[in-house]
Parts: sequence; C-alpha cells; structure tokens
Amino acid sequence: MAFVEQLIANLLYGAILGAVYGLATMGLSLIFGVLRIVNVGHGAFIMIGAFTAYWMFTLYGISPVLSLPLAMAAGMIIGVAVYLVVVKRLVDAPELATLLAMFAIGIFIEEAAKQIWGANYVGYSWEIGSISLPFTEIPYTKLVAFISSILIAAAVYVWFRKTKLGKAVRAVVEDREGALTCGIDVNKIYALSFSLGIGLTVLSGVLVTLFTPVGINAYMGGEYTLKAFVIAVLGGLASPWGAFYAGFIFGLIENGSYTLLGLIPGVEPFGLTRFVSFVVLMLVLLLKPTGLLGGE
Amino acid sequence: MKSYSPLITLLLAYLIMIAIGQSIPGMWQPVMLVIFYIAIGQALNVFLGMTGYVNFGYVALLGVGAYGMGVALGYYNELGLIPTLILGFILAAILALLVSAIVGGIALRLRGAYFAIATIGVNEGIKYLIMGAKIWGGSEGIVLSGILRKSFGAETMRFLSTTFADAGVIVVAIATGVVTAYILNSRLGYALIALREDEEAAKVMGINVTKYKQIAFMISCVLAGLIGATAWTLKLTYVFPQDVFAINYTVEAIVIVMLGGAGTLLGPLVGGLIYALLKYYLAIAFPGLQLLILAPLLIVVILLFPEGVVGYIAKKARGTRLENFVR
Repeated sequence: MAFVEQLIANLLYGAILGAVYGLATMGLSLIFGVLRIVNVGHGAFIMIGAFTAYWMFTLYGISPVLSLPLAMAAGMIIGVAVYLVVVKRLVDAPELATLLAMFAIGIFIEEAAKQIWGANYVGYSWEIGSISLPFTEIPYTKLVAFISSILIAAAVYVWFRKTKLGKAVRAVVEDREGALTCGIDVNKIYALSFSLGIGLTVLSGVLVTLFTPVGINAYMGGEYTLKAFVIAVLGGLASPWGAFYAGFIFGLIENGSYTLLGLIPGVEPFGLTRFVSFVVLMLVLLLKPTGLLGGE
Repeated sequence: MKSYSPLITLLLAYLIMIAIGQSIPGMWQPVMLVIFYIAIGQALNVFLGMTGYVNFGYVALLGVGAYGMGVALGYYNELGLIPTLILGFILAAILALLVSAIVGGIALRLRGAYFAIATIGVNEGIKYLIMGAKIWGGSEGIVLSGILRKSFGAETMRFLSTTFADAGVIVVAIATGVVTAYILNSRLGYALIALREDEEAAKVMGINVTKYKQIAFMISCVLAGLIGATAWTLKLTYVFPQDVFAINYTVEAIVIVMLGGAGTLLGPLVGGLIYALLKYYLAIAFPGLQLLILAPLLIVVILLFPEGVVGYIAKKARGTRLENFVR
C-alpha cells in the first residue's frame, strides 16, 4: 500500500503547508474586506518577505523565526508608504484604477528586486533535524512554520476581537458610513489595515521560504498570487478567517492532486498542479462565488 | 451620434506609417513594432476600454492564437499551403473563442473584482496545462522553420515569415480598428458604455449586461488570437510557451490603452505610438529596464490622467470642427 501511504504523507504535508498558505492569504482578504481593493500585486510582497529571510540568514545567521517580526515591521512600513503615495488617492476611484495601480505596484517591486538582487534563484538551508513518523519524515522547520502560522493567525484574531483598534477595523468592514458617524477616523483605519495586510503578507513570505529551499527569486511571487486568489475566493474574499481555513483546504487539494496526477504516465505533475489551482478557482467562481464558508 | 469619421484619422495614420516604413531605410522594423502594439492595444480596448473590466490574462489569448497557427503549420501542413494557413487562422480564432467563452461564461456573471481575479489564473493555467500535460510539444514548444522549409520550400518560408506575416499584422490591426468603430456606433457599444458608467442602472434599464460583456470579451479575445497567430507564429516561425504566455505583453497592452485613453477609437493608436517608440529607443538606452520604467508610468497615468491622451484631447476638441475626427 505504498500509494496510500504516500497519499497520506502528502496530505499531511498539504495540511502543514496549508497553514502557511492561509496566513499568506489573510493580508489579501483583510485589504479587500476593509478597503474593497484587490491587491493583484500580492505575490511581490511575499517575495520581499522571502528575501528578508534569505538575507537575514545568509548574512547574519539569524533564524527565520527571528526574522518574522522584522519582516512584519518592514512590510508595515512599505504598506504605509504604498498607501500614502498611491492607494489613498484611489480609495473612491473606479475598480479599474485600483486594480491596475496594484498590478503596476507589484510589477515595479518585482523589477526593482530583480535589479537589486539579480534574477537568479537563491536559497538557504536551515537544518534543525526532523521528526520521524511511521510513513514519512517531517523536518522541524516545517513544523515551526506550521505552528508559527497558527499562532500568528490566532494573535491577529485576538487583536481584532479584543482591542479597540481591532473593533474599529471590524466596524469599518461592517459599515463605513456608520463607523464614520461613530467618530472612527476611517482614513486612519484604511492606512492601518492596508499596512497590516501588507505586513502579514511580507511576514508570510518568511515562512514560505521554509518550504522552497532554493526557490527564492524576484518573480517567485506570481505563483503565490494565483494561489492566494484561489484561497481568498474559497474563503469568501473579504474574510481573513475564511482565508485561513481555506488555506488548509487548498493545501490538501494541491498536495492530494499532485499525488494523483503523478499516477498518470507521460505528464509532469508539478506543472499540472498549477493548472489544477486555476480549475479550482474557476469551479468555485462557478458554483459558489461567495466562498465555501458561506457569504461575505 | 453615428460617426465613422475618426476611422479616417486611424486609416490615414496607418497609411502614413506604412509609407514611412517603406520609403525610409531601416524604418520598417520600428513601424511594424508600432503597428503590433497598436493592434494589441486596440484588441484589449474592445473589452477593457468599453466595459471597464480588466483582463489580466490577456496575453493568454495571443498565446492560444499563436498555438492555433502553430498547430496548423506544424501538424497539418500536408494539406497544402493555403488550406493550412486558413486552418491556422480558424484554429487561432476557435481556441481564443473557446477560452474566452469558458472564462467569460463563468466569471462575467460576477462583478469586476471577481472577474479580474479569475483572469489572473488564465495565463498561468493554460501555460502549465500545455507544459505539464506535454500538449503540442510541452515545454519545447513548436519549432516551425525546419518543417516549413521541408514542406513549402525556403523561398515560400521566407515570404511567409516576412511579407505575409507583416501584411497579416497590418490587416488584423486595421480590422481591430474597424471593429472598434463599428462597436462604438452600434447598440452593443451603447450598452457597453452604459454598463461601464453604472452597471446597476444599465441592468435596471433592461440591458442584458452579462450578454454584452460576454460578446465584447469574446470579440476582444478572438482579435487577440489573430494577432498572436500573425505577429508571433508566422513572423517568428516558432511557438514557445514561455514566450507566448509572457505577462509583460498584458502589462504593455494595458499601458497602451490607459495612456491613449480607454474606450476611445484613437486611444490605442496614440498610446501604441508613444509606447512602442519609447520602448524601441529605451530598449537601446536601458536594456532590460522597460517594465521598471513602465510600471510607475502606468501609476502616474492612472493617478493624473485617468482619461488618457485621446480622452483629454477629445474633451478639449468638443464643440470645434475637429470634434468628429477625435474619438
């Protein structure tokens, strides 16, 4: 029963990876939920996080876990800058304008990264051993990524539920005009949510590197943009929690289908898995555009 | 407000460009580059400009069009030269129609943001389907030069990849302009403009918005497919998945439409002219930096000139005698 064991191992791996996917999508859903802006340059910010982890590790030997707060801070600063320079002027503009602007920002970041860091794939290896299960072996680095993702998502959840600012953000999501009349500075909440969303995205880029040992490159984000959109739509697009749960589902679908596609002779399962992501996206849009976990 | 006069401006511009390219040595290549960019802008404009919806998977349609022609020339060339070419154009159009019918049929029922998200995956999805399932040569693509030389002779191959391909691009470019002018003057165009301005209101007025969006999307995609078939497959005599699904063409087409003026007939002409000449001379001055320069340019256009060059001029020309020739 080698195949079944392999499937179980891959599904387990999919669940672990899914937690990171979920975290990597929360920022996207947060920004859409609050500002109604679709960050089509999402992947570029993940790439910044990945490079943060890479440089911290190779230059100073700092472990990726310790890079997390740094990446979060860097992402929030970038987020505020992007908000003030571009997004602020487009909040009430037609959808076309914001979509194109976010797209252009993503491309600009990628091209700038290519000029600064080169076009080659780089990577690092952080060896801290692995845990042996009956049918597979899981490196501790991936468990660290799994646990960090869950803890960070939980921290964001608590922040949203318990703090005054978090409640203000939820109020703006609920009803912008209503929040305004209650004395909430909506512009500040926009800036905060945008920078928080970008911060979370950059932070998740650090964890992504624990799964792609040699896959850090200026254009690595494109793949995650597509995945993040599939996950965000699965989770209802406007809900960060929906996105986090949908990340698990997507991790399972992706790794399950990879195993199954490997059974078909003459195809290249890795490439086809990406096609499967696209098919899943189209199916969700066709059958349940409000997301698997209910309405917005 | 029926008016085909702006079409005169457009055709005149093509004539002047072709005359310049033919008479001044060394100018044919930049002229063809300009015409190619005007064409991809024009085809995208039919959808993006008129509906206000963004198609981030635009280049995938040029890609499948290129594959349509490539498959005909590569696998069915024993039919003889002319039937193979006809088959190539038909396959290019059908593949583009198929992709646009599926993607549009699913995603155009939804509002703008969802559609944009759906199109983000189209390009990667099709590219990885071809590479992953090893369809039509997979990652190796289709290399046509040897096949064409063997089946039709070196002389015919040279004619196909130079004169015929260039003429094809020009014909398709002019056709996209004519189609745009026709749409602007038709019921379809009025419906599209109404839904671009206010989709809810258009729906309430009894316009079947989904149907009109779908028609515009499919027209735009088929035109794109034909451009891919002529400008890439015939001209370059190869089809590589990494090349025909390169996302920079999507960005370039969007920049051209926005720069010139979305939803105008002459917008892509002006945008394509400015952009292609900039690119041609910038590529010599700053090789590899085009996208780094383009992305901020797009942001500046969106922030400062959302109506584009032609939109701006048309606003200024309103009430003057030039009014009918700028649109």
